[in-house]
Amino acid sequence: MNTDRLIERLATNLEPVKPLRAPAKRAGWFVLAAVAYVAVLIALLARPGLASRGADLAVLAPQLAALAASLLAANAAFASVVPGRSVSALIWGALGVAAWIAAFVAASLAPASQHAAVLAARHEGWCVAVILVGAAPLLAALGALLRRGAPLRPRAAAAFGAISIASLTNAAACVWAAHADRLSELIWHGAAILVLLIGCVLAAPFVLRWRASSGSGLTA
Amino acid sequence: MRSVQENSVGSGKGYACRKLTVGMTANDTRDHELGSLMSAAQRGDGAAYKRLLETITPRIKQIVRRQRGFAGLAEVDDLVQEVLLSVHAVRATYDASRPFVPWVLAIVRNRLADGARRYARTSAREVTFEHEEDVTFFSDETNEQTAELGDARALREAVEALPAGQREAIELLKLEELSLKEASERSGTSVGALKVATHRAIETLRRTLGTKTR
Repeated sequence: MNTDRLIERLATNLEPVKPLRAPAKRAGWFVLAAVAYVAVLIALLARPGLASRGADLAVLAPQLAALAASLLAANAAFASVVPGRSVSALIWGALGVAAWIAAFVAASLAPASQHAAVLAARHEGWCVAVILVGAAPLLAALGALLRRGAPLRPRAAAAFGAISIASLTNAAACVWAAHADRLSELIWHGAAILVLLIGCVLAAPFVLRWRASSGSGLTA
Repeated sequence: MRSVQENSVGSGKGYACRKLTVGMTANDTRDHELGSLMSAAQRGDGAAYKRLLETITPRIKQIVRRQRGFAGLAEVDDLVQEVLLSVHAVRATYDASRPFVPWVLAIVRNRLADGARRYARTSAREVTFEHEEDVTFFSDETNEQTAELGDARALREAVEALPAGQREAIELLKLEELSLKEASERSGTSVGALKVATHRAIETLRRTLGTKTR
């Protein structure tokens, strides 16, 4: 098919589309919905001591950093699928994630004597489940939202999206149950987040790809 | 108000972007006008969309030629069409409050990079074959010099001998290369019926031409 004919066909079969909102707005709405979902998740899985843990500044401070990181990472993910956007959103996203990781690690530092408790902390398995299984519906929703954009940097979009969600589900896991020690929290939660991140980055090129052109009967 | 040049350079790999913007500066392409055409296209205005694509296509072709100097005409055309299809697929991502040119250049750059990766992959697997004689097969008896002409004539006759419905389906879908939707509108037949007619026509042609291979 020659190019003139392609243009003719694309113009003839053109269907109206609703322009996407600005990445910041999309990120804001997404994180708002995700926070509501995580709140419901915590309420459903509520365990004794939830109120006291919620009021503990040592527990709460990293979660506030997680919320900020989630917002910045979601903004970076949504900006990465819009052509022509500057890279500043990605830089801010990376800074937010770095700040959250720093806060999480700093809060998790514990005396060396507690290292032995790491593998004995059975309930950490449940924390991992909360992080991974709890993230699944959010990942599906974010994937669908990102697919509406242009897959210019699929791996970056997936990485930021995964971090945005993992930071929130990790917050749920941290608030949900007291841990044997902070180091075990760092190791188990960190590993779960890493698994989620790697899985998303590996799956990204298959999920976020140039899709068929709607209505034209052609593929991009 | 951001300038187009500033935006496109600031949006990524500076050198590549500057090279790409050579053929698409703010003055050249009347960014605002192109943006308005794209906004109209988002609302479903086919005429505006056609005008937009016709305006940007020569410039995209220029960029592709400059970036892929070694590519043949057919490959340049393929890449240009790929870019146009990508623009079409993600037209919802265009924000009317932002300049149009950086938006389209980001797509061009991405598709060119994809094309280069694809080229690197395929060329790594390709083996150059230099043949001295214009033959298809090694053995002489299997080389039919007039096979193409004979087949074309036989095919034409076989198509003409098809029942009217099947012939129309084949002509619209395979010879004119219309989409199912277009062929359905042109012939007044449902998409399903067209698919069935095409399938039957191909079966009939296979039988008629004696080609049992699939």
